[in-house]
Amino acid sequence: MTPVHLSFSSAFVLGLMGLAFHRTHLLSALLCLEGMMLSLFIALALWTLQFESTSFSTAPMLLLAFSACEASTGLALLVATARTHGTDRLQNLNLLQC
Amino acid sequence: MTYFMFMLLVALIVGLIAVASNPTPYFAALGLVVAAGVGCGVLVGCGGSFLSLVLFLIYLGGMLVVFAYSAALAAEPFPEGWGSRCVAGYVLVYLLGVILAGGMFWGGWYEGSWIIIDNLKEFSMLRGDVSGVAVMYSFGGAMLVICAWVLLLTLLVVLELTRGLSRGALRAV
Repeated sequence: MTPVHLSFSSAFVLGLMGLAFHRTHLLSALLCLEGMMLSLFIALALWTLQFESTSFSTAPMLLLAFSACEASTGLALLVATARTHGTDRLQNLNLLQC
Repeated sequence: MTYFMFMLLVALIVGLIAVASNPTPYFAALGLVVAAGVGCGVLVGCGGSFLSLVLFLIYLGGMLVVFAYSAALAAEPFPEGWGSRCVAGYVLVYLLGVILAGGMFWGGWYEGSWIIIDNLKEFSMLRGDVSGVAVMYSFGGAMLVICAWVLLLTLLVVLELTRGLSRGALRAV
């Protein structure tokens, strides 16, 4: 693996592990999701630049637009959680607990 | 130039380790800002100045600003930085994981250059990524319309989620 490839691949996997093992706050999970989107943007943009396939430049732009949608939906969920449960701590989201 | 690129790549990984180790969201947002900034530097080093500007403006200037002030919703009396025991453990484990992954995928390390070497093949006013994005407005017009539709739909989704009063999306009763 070239170093650039290794760095954005490990950035994606790090964000994924941070999302899987999030500890207390819902917002840290959303931030890890944003980190994954950042690594995907860098990956697609580097695909365009290093293979010189310039018409593929639209892919990172569209990815950014869709990731903005996803971030805003996640933040709306966060705001709704904070409004109903008082905080975004995950231990408060225990409605399904027996 | 290669050394500069190496520092940027290391800073990208360290920034994302800082986010993935799950400290208090204030610090995680700071790590993400640093990671996005050096990510822009990586893109510039590979010749994509327009995509780097787009990342800076839209991602850092748009999305992360919203995350930064949403971090006020996650206020705690004793914030945990990267020095607290639990978070430092995660940082060490992720650092070891990245080093192990680098050791495992060692083959092909020297196959390509870290930076662009031969970019100017012919004289042109426009760079590749600028004119590539312009394709989104010509042949990619359908995708642009779909994107606009999705953005409008997301606006309505967000308004519905945060409606509040007695008809909100998440109720604790």
